[in-house]
Amino acid sequence: MSLLPFLLISIAVTGAALILRGRPTIATSVVLAGLVASLIAALAIRPGETIVIGGATVATTDFLRLFLVLGCLSGLALALLGAGAGTRRDAPAVMLGTLAAAALALSLPDARIAVPAATIGGLLGVLVTLAPTGARAGATVGIREVRAVIIAGALAIAAAAWIARPLGDLAVQPQVFGFAYLGFTIAVAVRFGVIPFHFWAARLADAVPEVALPTLTAWGPAVLAVVALAWIDRAVAPVLPEFGAERAVLIGIGVVTIVLATFAAWIQDDLEHVLGYSIMGDAGVIILGLAALGTEAWTPVRVWILAFVVARSAFAAWCAATRATFWTGRLDDLRGWARHSPPLVLALVLVIVASVGLPGFAAWEARSTIVRLLFGEPWAGLLLVALLGPILYYVRLLAIGLRRPHGGTSAEDWRPSWPGIDLNQVRTSIVKIARVNRGASTAVLALLLALLAVGTSAGAFGVTEAAAGAGPAVEAEAVETGLR
Amino acid sequence: MNPVLGTVAAAVVAGAVVAVSVRDGRLAVVGLAATLVFAALLGAQLDAPLGLAASLTGGILAAYLLWIAARGGGTTGGSRLGWPTEALLAGAAFFVGLGAVGLGAPALGPVEAQAAGFALAALAVVPVATGRDVLRIGIGLFLLLQAALLVGVGLDGHPSQLEQVVTAALVAALGGAVAALGYAARSDGSGGFDLATESRVRIRRPLDARRESPRPPEVTGPDIGR
Repeated sequence: MSLLPFLLISIAVTGAALILRGRPTIATSVVLAGLVASLIAALAIRPGETIVIGGATVATTDFLRLFLVLGCLSGLALALLGAGAGTRRDAPAVMLGTLAAAALALSLPDARIAVPAATIGGLLGVLVTLAPTGARAGATVGIREVRAVIIAGALAIAAAAWIARPLGDLAVQPQVFGFAYLGFTIAVAVRFGVIPFHFWAARLADAVPEVALPTLTAWGPAVLAVVALAWIDRAVAPVLPEFGAERAVLIGIGVVTIVLATFAAWIQDDLEHVLGYSIMGDAGVIILGLAALGTEAWTPVRVWILAFVVARSAFAAWCAATRATFWTGRLDDLRGWARHSPPLVLALVLVIVASVGLPGFAAWEARSTIVRLLFGEPWAGLLLVALLGPILYYVRLLAIGLRRPHGGTSAEDWRPSWPGIDLNQVRTSIVKIARVNRGASTAVLALLLALLAVGTSAGAFGVTEAAAGAGPAVEAEAVETGLR
Repeated sequence: MNPVLGTVAAAVVAGAVVAVSVRDGRLAVVGLAATLVFAALLGAQLDAPLGLAASLTGGILAAYLLWIAARGGGTTGGSRLGWPTEALLAGAAFFVGLGAVGLGAPALGPVEAQAAGFALAALAVVPVATGRDVLRIGIGLFLLLQAALLVGVGLDGHPSQLEQVVTAALVAALGGAVAALGYAARSDGSGGFDLATESRVRIRRPLDARRESPRPPEVTGPDIGR
């Protein structure tokens, strides 16, 4: 089966990187090579294959393949950026481990197995909270993240098990399905750290580098969201399509998150917290998508998830490149950044285009569809306007960049430079070239990831077709019945 | 109720009572180890040796990783009300679990698993919600996870072998995560497994960008004096 090489490579490399974490340079090199190998293995995945392992079916889909390819590309860019910017050492291994868990979770038709697989990916994230100094503070942030991950996992496991059996004899069927549905979707909300479950996610931005934030609060939770969507589509939606109170709770969480997280991102005074709250705000759309509860929501929610994870990674890359160039993430100290580095301006504009979208973009249409599935006019129009709120904090970032800078600068130059190579000291020369091109190299990586995000948001790479494709359960059934 | 499964379920709950009651970190880990091992026996089919072996391995590995973090000493919060209160709470929840078998529909798994799951969930609430040290919160999270897994076994029947392998990996990963965090907390000062105070948590992330190269000197600009 074509998924197995990906699983083997990603799991083995993650394990090797964790063993080698005492030697950061080697560990990072191993993970970078592993990400390249995983990308090749992901591209080689053939959709529509199934295999039975240990009594459970594993099936490949177009969505799985695209998710992993985009994940490997984003992971590579973020890992290179982290290496260039001197970011914490475990971030690339955590990304690869998260993708390994994602590969397993997204290929399993049975939610009872997929949820534990998705939860394992979340637990790996604690590694990036551990800093050499301030270990207790890092451990405090880390255990809060573990708490959120396990509470979400336990809720989802219990919910999936509750209605997995034949329930013909159930006396209170609507209530049981409603509670199970609410439990699973609240689990997704907890995992994303959306408001009001945001305390741990907000603190995460204190301790985790920018390049690791999307892994912990976007890629990992997105896997659980996809599993939840498949579970709702298979187990809940066909039985009882209407849950008034349960959906009202989810809609409330989604709308409050979109509004308040956008406001919170707007008033932050450092890049990491702007990034953290921006991820939270966009995750609110996914919660709304889970509230839509119907087959019409299947494609738009999955399109939005793909656009969301890549766009947030691109914004994280921009934040990391800005910090690497200007040696600070404090907005007050970043006055004049746009005057100094044109590539970063272009990267941020592309991130804005990818995140907010343009009419006709797949992500734009997906977001509109989700909102219109839930609301009639004028509420749908109002919420769609609220969803343009991220423009506020992006414009603020641009405005800060255009202001007159504080006196003096220690910023890296955005133009590449090539100091002479001393053939007697090749390694020293390479290190010197990397150091003097710190600003240029990180800006180029941010720009490349921003381009990938725009493409994904626009619907390139077969995003819409992959999102509209069947889930692993349907693929497995199609193979069993000879339809595929 | 099957008496053998009932005894195993009682052992699961007894280990959990010890884990949440005692203040000695090592003893708490021993109690948790008993819970994890007996829960593996309760949740697995004996005629599926791969799944059972995976569950046992996952539980033992998780406990061993926690032991590495706790063996140097260190206390955890423990129960403020004492073990009898915890035992009564767990016992009450156990019987609720027995009475609510299947949760409204015929159960496919052993009722003892659901009862033990209810007891573990009841014991997990306080450590997870109010724990003030890494080890106590971690133990609560183990109990919560095992509760969900056992309730799942009680409702939906015994899991497939792949499910057992994946959940064993999850248990081991949780052990590794809590152990790494506990070790980090213990290695930072004299506070043992205690969490940092809130003011210390709000750190300014000074270490993300390593200043490997000397920076150009700051130049005072015209804006500074205003």
